[in-house]
Formats: sequence, structure tokens, C-alpha cells
Amino acid sequence: MLTDSLSKAIAELEEQQVAELVKERLDSGVSPLEIVNSLQQGMAEAGGRFESGEYFLGELIMCGEIMQDSMVILEPLLSGSNAEYKGNIVMGTVKGDIHDLGKNIVVMLLKGSGYNVIDLGVDVSKEKFIEAIKESNAPLVGMSVLLTGCQESMKETIDAIRAAGLNTKVLIGGNYIDELVKNHVGADYSAQAATDGVKIADQIFGA
Amino acid sequence: MNEKEMLYQKRLERYTTAMDCGKPDMVPVAFGIGEWIVKYTGTTLQEIYYDLDKSNNIVSEMLPGLDFDIFKGGPSLWWPPMFDAMGSKLYKFPGIGVDENSTFQFNEQEYMKADDYDEFIASPTEWLVNHYLPNISKELENPGSYRSTVALIKGAAAFAISGGMMGAAWGKWTVDHGIVGQGTGFTKAPFDTLGDALRGMKGVLLDLRRRPEKVLAACDAITPHNVNCGVAGAGADTRFPCFAPLHRGAYPFLNPHQWDTFYWPSLKATIEGLWAKGKRMLFYAEGDWTPYLEKIAELPDKSIIFQIDTTDAKKAKEILGGRFCLQGGMPTTLLTYGTPEKIKEHVKRTFDELAGDGGFILDSGGVVMGDAKKENVIAMIEAAREYGTY
Repeated sequence: MLTDSLSKAIAELEEQQVAELVKERLDSGVSPLEIVNSLQQGMAEAGGRFESGEYFLGELIMCGEIMQDSMVILEPLLSGSNAEYKGNIVMGTVKGDIHDLGKNIVVMLLKGSGYNVIDLGVDVSKEKFIEAIKESNAPLVGMSVLLTGCQESMKETIDAIRAAGLNTKVLIGGNYIDELVKNHVGADYSAQAATDGVKIADQIFGA
Repeated sequence: MNEKEMLYQKRLERYTTAMDCGKPDMVPVAFGIGEWIVKYTGTTLQEIYYDLDKSNNIVSEMLPGLDFDIFKGGPSLWWPPMFDAMGSKLYKFPGIGVDENSTFQFNEQEYMKADDYDEFIASPTEWLVNHYLPNISKELENPGSYRSTVALIKGAAAFAISGGMMGAAWGKWTVDHGIVGQGTGFTKAPFDTLGDALRGMKGVLLDLRRRPEKVLAACDAITPHNVNCGVAGAGADTRFPCFAPLHRGAYPFLNPHQWDTFYWPSLKATIEGLWAKGKRMLFYAEGDWTPYLEKIAELPDKSIIFQIDTTDAKKAKEILGGRFCLQGGMPTTLLTYGTPEKIKEHVKRTFDELAGDGGFILDSGGVVMGDAKKENVIAMIEAAREYGTY
């Protein structure tokens, strides 16, 4: 059960109340990092409610929007504080596909759970994926695809990552993703629901 | 009546009987020649999209020898020059914005802003002409200007040209091969018109919390237009259903309360409005609609053909069967990753589970894209004939 009023407010999607509480706490000298922690706890609760079937995607998107609005205020104040991430994750929608809704929800939940997400956007080439994995040394890369016609480019990307000698774990997700697709493209994990991403990340990072 | 005309009549009878939940002589099978054809023809997807003659010739060469009932069309869903003439921002087409062999994609943006609701609700068409067209098309940015007027004429001419070419091609296919088209006309759920085209997914989902009354009023304002669209675009034909790709009502976008309040009433009103004019809807339920089947069952008997994509097929049969024709049964991913043997097994099982007492059309669950294998698609229609006799 959440006890913090800010965590509760974001979990309940009370937009106005969150904005007021963030301002109030900053004014009274609470550290920005502590405020972010409260918001993250609330987001985790919203994720839990999605898993239990109480919340739907509409609620998750709303929650992410409130978080994002709060971060506009909080992020500039965070520099200098010792925000510790659970780890780096590279994310992107694969080459040929410009759908970003599913990816954005997963990115938001991962960020909310304390991961540093390097979001490469949509229509991402295999070269870009590899470059980002090398640069960030990310143990996990997430790939999103909606169009079945672009699943092949997912396979090409994974093949290229392996050929480059990177042993990053690969998680894939998208409406038409199932075991068949996972095995065909050679991914390590496949996500069926929005919240699976965080569960799998926690497993990999031992968080 | 010549041989092809007789064939046409036989297939039409099969389709019509199934639509009315009856049991034809065999299970009707629907077939489309999708983008998968490209890799077997030595062309690029860009050529197929831009050169309608080329695309239609590929279809004409493919059709002889294939035995199916309902034709869903060739690989060209849109003719991009119409959009290019207006400098449209709505789509990325093969070779323009995406790779020459990548499929077309919708560029979803908030083309309508939250502040636009009142003006839109007051007069949707007027708002579309004055604000939406300039927002979505670079050439139409200044309504009434020389540039904008010429672009409008060019766009309208391109629409008429492609309509004429496709009409002639369909006429030829019907006469030469005795095939029956799946539908006439097109419409959408009012909430999808708002959520797909105007506000975008994120915009509309946030609106449900921030300005719910505007969403409802907008859906109400759109409903009569969408009824008209389904009938008028079909030239008032009522033999065949109008196609309605349904999006935001899929699970799990909206919670049950939102679905009941915002998605369903205006879609139901659209379907009832069409049905009052004798027009059926191909309820193309993309994704999973399992939680909403009981609500869908409230519709007038036979007013829709329900498309099963990733919806639980057995539940759909249990809840909608007998009152509404069901279409689908073949998972799209199986057409890519399966083998002809697996496809055949699956068709047999599907017929056992879903086709028993009629009112069923075999089809791929969702849109079949470039990844499908030709041998699997052909295996599907062959198996339909092998196991489909009632």
C-alpha cells in the first residue's frame, strides 16, 4: 500500500494534485530526487494495477503524461544530485516501422522503475542499435515492431548484433509478437504485455 | 450464362448465405493478393504502389487457376500520387519517407488540437476544410490561394483517375475469373475517426480524462457523417458490407467504463444507422476484442460480419455465432512462419471449431503484409476446398 500522498496522487492519475504536491514539496525544501522517488513508486503502483487488470493502456499513458509533466520541472534540478540508475537499456522501433505508442509506454515504465533508457526512436537501423549498445554498454536492448512485414528487419538487427560479438540480451514486443516470432528472429525474451518489460529487466539486472 | 457467370453466381450465393448466417454448399474463403506478392515478381513495393497498371497486371496474372470465393483486392491499397499532389503529411509511402520495400505507414499526429473541439463539433465538414486540410497537406496551407486550388484539383483528379482504373480492373477480374468482391464502401467508428485521424491515440486518451464531454460531443457529431460515408461511398449498394477497420476499441486500450461510454455508443449508432438503410458492416476488429463480445452481441442480428483477428475465436463463436457471420480463423503470423502442412491442419481444425453450422468465412485474421509466404497463402485456399464441403 502506498502511504506517500504524492505517490498515491500519481497512481490515482490526479494530474492537478500531483502538480500541486510537486510544487509544494520543492518550496518546502524536499530534494528533487526524493520527489522523483515518490513519483516512481506511484508509477510502479499504476503498473501493478495494469497487470492485475484494473488499469488499461489509457491509464498507463495518462500516468506517463503526468510523470513527464513533472519531470519538466524536476529534471533541471536533478543535476548534481546522485541519481543512481539500475542500469542502461537501449530501446527502439525497428527499421521500416514508425509505430511508437507501445515503445513509448514501455520506455516510460522502465524510466519510472529507475532505468536509464536510451530511446533511439522509430525506424531505427541495425547500425544505430549496435552503436548505441556499444556506447552505453547496455546489457539489455528492447525492440518494438507492430507491422508483421517489419519482423524480418528485427531478425536482421538481432543477427547483426550477434555478428558484432555483442552479448546483450534482446527483448522484443509488439501486437503480433509470439513464441513463433521470438524463435524466428532469435530474441532472448518476448513481452506480451506493457509491464512485462520491467519484469524482464528486473530479472536481467537482478534489481 | 457462360461458365464464369455461373461461377460468379455460385460464389455470390455462398458469400450471401454465409453473411446471413446460413449454411452454403461449402465454407466460403476470402483471399487477397497482398504485398507478399512483390518478392515473387522481381519488382519493388514502390513500383507496385505508384504504377497501378503494373500492380493490376500482377493480380490478373495470378488469379487464373486460384479457386476462392471472395476477393479482397490486390496489393495497392492507396495510390500515392493523390497524396503527393496535395503534399500530404499523412502517410509515408514506399520509397518516399520509408525504404522502397517498406509498407506505407500512417504518420499519426495531433492534426486537431484540444482547442479545436468546439469549432469541429459545431460543423465537422467546415472545420475539416478550413483547418484539417491545411494542417495535413503542405500544398493546401493557404486555402483559396492559387497553389492550394491547383493542388486540390490535382488531388481530386488523381482520386478520380485511380477510382476509374481500379473500377475497370475489378470489372475485368469479375468477368474473367468469376470472383466476388468483399465489400463496397468504407467507414469507421466515430471514436476512431477522432482518435486515428484527428487527435491521435495519445491525444484522445488524455482527452478522456481532461475533456470527456468534448469527446462525446465530437463522436455524436461524427456519427451521421460515418453512416453516410458507408452508404454513399458504395453508391448505395447494399448487397455487400462496407469495410470498417476498427482500432481504438481493441483490448487493452480503453478500460471497460471508457469503452462502454466513449467507444461503443457512437459505433453502435453508426451500425444501426447503416442497417436501417440495409447496409451491413464488415466489423474489422483488428487486435483482441474478446472482453467486448457481449456488448457487440447487442447489435441487430446480421448487421455485421465480425472479423476475428486475435480475438478468442471460440468465445466469438459462442457469443456471436448464429446471429452474426464470423470471418477469419487463420492467424496472420502462421502465413509467414508456418508451412503448407501446418496451414492445412489449421484450416481443418478451424472448420471443426467455427464453421459447423454455417455463418463462417475463412480468412486471414488481420492484414496480410509483405512477410507472408505465397505457398502458405495458396495452401489456405486449397485446404478450404479440401475440407470445406458441408
